[in-house]
Order: sequence, then structure tokens, then C-alpha cells
Amino acid sequence: MVLRFCQWLYDSGIGTQIRESIWVFPIIETTHVLGMALLVGTIAMLDLRLLGLLFKQEAVSEVASRILPLTWAGFAVMFTSGFLLFWAEAAKSYYNPAFRLKLVLLLLVGLNPLVFHFTIYRSVATWNYQVVTPLRARMAGVFSLALWTGIICAGRAIAYFQK
Amino acid sequence: MVLHLFKWLGETPVGFFMQQSTYAFAIVEMFHLLSLTILGGAILLIDLRLLGFGFKSQTAGQLAKELRRWLQGSLVIAAISGILLLAEEPIKCYYSPAFRLKMLLLILAVLFYFGVQDRIFARNGKLALERTAGIISLALWFGVALSGRAIGLL
Repeated sequence: MVLRFCQWLYDSGIGTQIRESIWVFPIIETTHVLGMALLVGTIAMLDLRLLGLLFKQEAVSEVASRILPLTWAGFAVMFTSGFLLFWAEAAKSYYNPAFRLKLVLLLLVGLNPLVFHFTIYRSVATWNYQVVTPLRARMAGVFSLALWTGIICAGRAIAYFQK
Repeated sequence: MVLHLFKWLGETPVGFFMQQSTYAFAIVEMFHLLSLTILGGAILLIDLRLLGFGFKSQTAGQLAKELRRWLQGSLVIAAISGILLLAEEPIKCYYSPAFRLKMLLLILAVLFYFGVQDRIFARNGKLALERTAGIISLALWFGVALSGRAIGLL
């Protein structure tokens, strides 16, 4: 069923147009690469704060509230451009191991802040100013950095596996 | 002279390794992407702050000081991985208009950051000056990224 959906997207007018145009695909792809700095480059700064490596004098909640709006803007750019790229290549992406790995990692990287937010972050008031945050907060930072690293590498590898 | 340097780079053991290995280019390219993500994140935070967005609890100068190690570290990794990527096909890059434009913009962006922006941070508060610097820097780095992506396309 997923395959049929991918095939339908792939065969649709918009998907075909993006795929067959000389310029549209590279332009969307370039937007997707540039958006990485806005999405991952900013969330990495918050992760580094959780690990006590950056903005040591700032409260964690302060860093989060300053940085997350930029991260969300980056997410909007990445989701839109990423979906358009998928739209054009859906039927090929379905069989692409790098693409599948990327989707799994994206799911995990989405769960990570949810868990963080509803568990350890609830008590942020008690550790807001600590340079070295509680273990579970540091783990959230490490997971985020590791998963995003994997996502970027898997994302780049999609093009190597695409036939 | 630059052409000689590029030819030499392609003939070093590192150059041979990059040209003959199946996975080296892909792996080095991933390091290049990861370092430019951090570099781009640091530049964005600083430049957006100059424009009055984002991290407003610090001045642009304080922010730049906080991020300095990460900005410089990622720039060094991007440069090293970039030279390795260059070693794979130096002659093609030498004649690539996208590569030439990227190098020009990169030199301008780095000079602008360490030469001009650093001085603007030192004297706090000149709003018009800060905004102009933020826009110039964003435009330069945007150009670097765009022409960098174009190397593989043209």
C-alpha cells in the first residue's frame, strides 16, 4: 500500500514535473541543503548547552526559547523541501535503503524531544542554571546530536543509492 | 601558480587515495556537510542577532565570543575536508566557474568576519552598522553555500 502511494506520487503531474525539470530539482535540493544549517545547526547549539559545552552562563530555558523558533523555521523549510524531493522520487525512494534508514532516524529524532519535554524538562527550574545538566538531559543532547549526524549522512547517501 | 599547486595536490599520496578509494569521497563529503551545518548554525545565530532576531539576551559580540570556538573549529574541519574533496579532481575544480566563485566568496566571507565584523562587535550598539554587517555576511555565506552546491551540478 505504501508502495502504491509512492508510485502514485511519483506518477502525479507535480512529481513528474519536478523530476523532469532541469532546474527545479537542484533548486529544491539546494534549499534542502542550506536549510540544514537553520534546522540542525540551531538545535545542535541547544544540545551543546544541555551538555554544558556552550552558553554555560545562560539558563537552559532561555537558550531553548531563543533558539527553538529558528529551529522550527528550519523544520518548515526542511519538511517542505524534503517532501517535494520525495514527491519527485517517491517510487525510487521506496526501495532506497538510505532513505528508509533516514525515515527511521527522523522518527527517533522526533520522539527524543517529546520524551525530553514530558520528563526531565518538567523539572527544568531546578537545574536551569547548572552548567552540567542532569544525566537524562545530557542523554537527550547526545541522542539528538547522534541522530542528526546519522540523518545528514543517510540523507547524503540517498543520492548514492538512487538509481 | 595555483594550477601547479592543484596539480601537485592531485599527485600527492592523499590525492591518489581520494581518487582511488570507493568510499573516501562519500565519507569525507559527509564530514564536510556536518561541519558546515555547525558553521552555518553559528553564522546564522550571529548574523540574525545583528539583524535583531533570535538570541536577544546577548549582544552580537557576546554571542560571537560564545560561538567562536565552534565557528573556528567547524571552519577548520570544513577546510580540511574541502581540501581532501578538492584532491579528488583538482584540475576539474580549477576550471569550474562554480568552484572559482565559491573560493572568491569564501575568502571575502572569512575576511569580512574576522576583519570587519569582529571590529563591529567591539563597538557596541551602532544599529545601522550592525544590520548592514549582518546582511553582507549572510549574503556572502549564502553565496558560498550556493556556489559550493553548484560545483557538483555544473
